Amino acid sequence: MYNRIRMLFMLATSMVMAAAWPALAQDKPRPGGELVFAVPSEPPSYDGHQEETFGLIHPVAPHYNTLLRVDPSDKTGTKPVGDLAESWTVSSDQKTYTFRLRRGVKFHDGADMSSRDVKASYDKILNPPAGVKSLRKAAYQAVEAIETPDAHTIVFRLKWPESSFLLNLSSPWNFIYKADTLAKDPRWYEKNINGTGPFTFVEHVKGSHWVGKKNASYWDKGKPYLDGYRAVFITSSSAQVAAVRGERAHIQFRGFTPADRDSLVKALDSKIAVQESPWDCVLMVAMHHEKKPFNDKRFRRALTLALDRYTASKNLSRIAIVRDVAGIQVPGTPWATPPEDLEKLAGYGKDIKAARAEARQLLKEAGVPEGYAFTFKNRGIPQPYEPLGIWLIDQWKQIGLNVKQEIVEASAYHPMLKRGDFEAAMDFQCGFIVEPDLDIARFLTNSDANYGKHQDKVIDELYVKQARATSPDERRKVLREFEKRLLDEEVHVLYTLQWHRIIPHSAKVKGWTITPSHYLNNQLDTVWLAQ
Amino acid sequence: MGAYLVKRFLLMFPTLLGVALVTFLLIRVIPGDVVELRYSGDRGAVSQEVIDQERARIGLDQPVWKQLGTWLIGMAKLDFGTSMWTGAPIWDEIRLRFALSLQVAIMATIVAVLLALPLGVLAALKQDTWIDYAVRIFSIAGLAVPSFWLGIMFILVLLIVFKWLPPMVYTPFWVDPWANMQQLIWPALAVGYRYSAVATRMTRSAMLEVLREDYIRTARAKGLWQSLLLRRHALKNAMLPVMTVVGVEFAFLIGGLVVTEQVFNLNGLGLLFVQAVSHRDYTLIQALVMLVAGIFIVMNFLLDVAFAWLDPRVRYA
Repeated sequence: MYNRIRMLFMLATSMVMAAAWPALAQDKPRPGGELVFAVPSEPPSYDGHQEETFGLIHPVAPHYNTLLRVDPSDKTGTKPVGDLAESWTVSSDQKTYTFRLRRGVKFHDGADMSSRDVKASYDKILNPPAGVKSLRKAAYQAVEAIETPDAHTIVFRLKWPESSFLLNLSSPWNFIYKADTLAKDPRWYEKNINGTGPFTFVEHVKGSHWVGKKNASYWDKGKPYLDGYRAVFITSSSAQVAAVRGERAHIQFRGFTPADRDSLVKALDSKIAVQESPWDCVLMVAMHHEKKPFNDKRFRRALTLALDRYTASKNLSRIAIVRDVAGIQVPGTPWATPPEDLEKLAGYGKDIKAARAEARQLLKEAGVPEGYAFTFKNRGIPQPYEPLGIWLIDQWKQIGLNVKQEIVEASAYHPMLKRGDFEAAMDFQCGFIVEPDLDIARFLTNSDANYGKHQDKVIDELYVKQARATSPDERRKVLREFEKRLLDEEVHVLYTLQWHRIIPHSAKVKGWTITPSHYLNNQLDTVWLAQ
Repeated sequence: MGAYLVKRFLLMFPTLLGVALVTFLLIRVIPGDVVELRYSGDRGAVSQEVIDQERARIGLDQPVWKQLGTWLIGMAKLDFGTSMWTGAPIWDEIRLRFALSLQVAIMATIVAVLLALPLGVLAALKQDTWIDYAVRIFSIAGLAVPSFWLGIMFILVLLIVFKWLPPMVYTPFWVDPWANMQQLIWPALAVGYRYSAVATRMTRSAMLEVLREDYIRTARAKGLWQSLLLRRHALKNAMLPVMTVVGVEFAFLIGGLVVTEQVFNLNGLGLLFVQAVSHRDYTLIQALVMLVAGIFIVMNFLLDVAFAWLDPRVRYA
């Protein structure tokens, strides 16, 4: 009897396992295959320390490791984990960070990686030698010294505690280069590749494609799963969609429009999977604080009160890459504004009639007549600048303003902003990690990106206060004060809608998780291709 | 003949110099700056220090006359310098793209000539018959339909009907002729059709004009065979304007297939041109304009030589 029961149990177990086997097999990473992805732009150079385009990150990141990285399985893209660092400790005053490095890590040329290489890479970022640029030097002003007590330990000493420090060390741009190479020629990495990453460099055919192959001696045993990857440079968005639809490319990591997503899903059905996320990009309206009537905060407040953001969210998200109504941080991430706080800000309430009545009253008080005309400058890029520009003009018309849109060619746009040659203009921000220090530094009085030229010591003080806060609750509180000052009390800028990232990709692509940033999660070590 | 050729050859140099000066000055009038564009990125928050440093490195802080002088001296030595966007030598940027653009131009010309000559001659011979009308409709449709639209139609039909898309990456013909043809035959057909429409209409009208000449009537009266009359007397004389059209179109195709290249994701000179302009990569724009201008000028020179050879009136004029 006992044997019969045991037999039956074994049979049942076997049947359950057999039934579940295809699913289990699908979930288990499968080695092999070449991932093909489309990249809408191309790297000007190969040096991540001095470039600012995702066109570099997408093809080049798989060749490198960074000290820390953002957890590739974390959808919020805000959780730092070790990459070359195996573990770390933070001193009680939060001013000393000690990292233990992995052993047995080799560069693609066979040389061992040590703390000397990490220090040399950070020295290049923090204090670039003459003739070498570093675009993110300003993010490490808190660093006082970098020390290497032994070959596998590196210590960062800070002048003051900095909340964002670990995430700043997870920056996808901060590739670890070889110290000896940098000592010989600090610009060598502009035209050459030699990292410790999961893929080695094969070729870059300018304007065409970039190829990497599996690093057989990668330190993370068993990874990467892919035999290699091929990044195909495709500038036209319709050609990118065609490449995915025609199964010439598995994925494009930046993002597609809602219409592209729908057409791909319709055409490919079960062969396509879609991942979506709020995007760490936002379009704002910069208002020139030295020009009338934009120098009057009642006028600026009226402009934000006119916006029906919630209705726009429903309607525009069908045609443009925008969706959520948000404050100064990406919804769903640790420092995001809770909806109940958001609704208290000017222009974020649900009663649009009351908001617009208040806006009209403010215009009257500011002496702005009915039908007042001004020019709004917008960037000549279809998504999402054009639909958002049209929406803004319509909304302002609802409070009696007559706004003319002037489209400025994309190449001439940034110089126009810097010259201050506008009354109101679309401003833009895309972050590589969702972190307040990185996202809101542009609002400081002396920031190069303070195009509206506001001067606000309170904003400057609140920024420093949140950056140096030692507890998350304290930081959150200060961030809310900062946000209220920026968007409600002074209305230095207007936020439109949060961008929305849509990645339709071949259902064969596994092990890749979307994050709010198109700069993250491009090392490809966790990615594999199903049969 | 020799003096004529030398004169025509020498005229090429002042033309090139004129193109160089106009290009150099005009692109500097357009707002925008390569350094600002490269480092403003998505965040748009690069410091002025970095911008000034980079402008000095690539020589944009120099007075315009000095930049012009340096460039003209370099050009005289056939050294076009390096791309301001990538830092790579200009020739490296152009080489691969030139091969692709040249191949598409040659293939489209073959398609155009193969269609235009028989159709144009046939339409002229059968003037005002249904054949003539059919050829005219075919050629007018070719003029009316932009080649990029036809390209999009090709892509859609291949995708929807055949569930297939041409390769997205260029493979040189000598590496894999089959892969090369799979990618380039479609743009060659799309562009060749429009090109053939122009040439067909030109062939038809030139043939009609020649067929009405006295010497053709005389040849017919003497009982010359139709095929001999066509080949030796009519077609040879009618070819002069057709050659002009084919030559100029060929030169245009080298750098002018901007939208078609985008549709088929071809890594050609047209796309490089657009990227260079949108990046405000002055050195690359200048080199590309000079290359295309050079091709046009050389093509015109070759056409003049061919005219002089075919028509004695030209060389004795």
